[in-house]
Amino acid sequence: MEETNEPVATEGREKMTVLVAVDESEGSLYALSWALDNLFAAAAVGGAPNKPQPLGRLVLVHAQQPLQQFIMHPIGPAVYATSSVIDSVKKAQEQNSRDVIERAKGICRRRLQVEAEAVVVIGDPKETICQAAEQMQTDLLVVGSRGLSKIRRAILGSVSDYCAHHANCPVLIVKPPKTSH
Amino acid sequence: MAAKAEDASTAEAVGKAVMVVGIDDSEHSFYALQWTLLHFFSPAVRPSGSYKLVIVTAKPTPTSVISVASPGATDVLPFVESDLRKISSQVIEKAKDICAAHSVLDVEYEVVEGDARNVLCEVVDKHHAEMLVVGSHGYGAIKRAVLGSVSDYCAHHAHCTVMIVKKPKPKH
Repeated sequence: MEETNEPVATEGREKMTVLVAVDESEGSLYALSWALDNLFAAAAVGGAPNKPQPLGRLVLVHAQQPLQQFIMHPIGPAVYATSSVIDSVKKAQEQNSRDVIERAKGICRRRLQVEAEAVVVIGDPKETICQAAEQMQTDLLVVGSRGLSKIRRAILGSVSDYCAHHANCPVLIVKPPKTSH
Repeated sequence: MAAKAEDASTAEAVGKAVMVVGIDDSEHSFYALQWTLLHFFSPAVRPSGSYKLVIVTAKPTPTSVISVASPGATDVLPFVESDLRKISSQVIEKAKDICAAHSVLDVEYEVVEGDARNVLCEVVDKHHAEMLVVGSHGYGAIKRAVLGSVSDYCAHHAHCTVMIVKKPKPKH
């Protein structure tokens, strides 16, 4: 349905696949809002509001830490890591992932015309996010940044750092806003 | 009437968010620039939510390129300086061509002398940019030994969102 005489080359731009990594931190949700405001702003401003074509694909990805077979320290009488304990921890983690995704989806819904898909991947966040980006052929990977200092980054590890170096697609690192003085 | 139109356009220019793109003479930089123009400045998108583009290239100081203590260094310096200047202007010319090819006209071009890391962060602060775009492996032939560290530095120290555009790796 040709409404305008857009050259074919720009069609690719409209259908940009953007992957946004979310977790419980405020930084990642800020990154999501930033991405919605700046990458999908064309939907909100200008353009025919009754344009049926989707403005691009937004995928939310949440990395869930894998469940380690931890050793329980006996507190008083011997406490064994029974399967029920593992199950309840697993359930808690899944509930946590669901909450994160719900919160992120809520933010998407408040903006216009964005169809957000959600994916939960289990594993080390750094690697799984890059893998997900590759599998979904993303055009842009958006990650928040905690703004850690160099030393803390080396100790705690940085997902945004890893992604910047190892992702196969362009990476957008959103910094937390500076508190205005 | 003309004054009013001018006021409106300057007001609009002030309201626009600034995007800084750091380039040098490497293929990766130009790829990053083209990618950015394609995805953020294509005619379909531009009328709404658009950015003001600032393209900046860092020109290394001649003294950073050759060690000043070596004999005959002072004789070589002017040649190195003019060579570096030539490279920078060629980079800007190519950038202008790319922008024209994508019909993006509201662009500011800057050549700033200094180390690329600091130059990019300074330009971001100067323009209060919303976003900084860099290629990866973005530093030129001379400093290729410290490859990739410019984008790294900017990702950590720039006061705005940073986008690192990579050339896609060829699939095996």
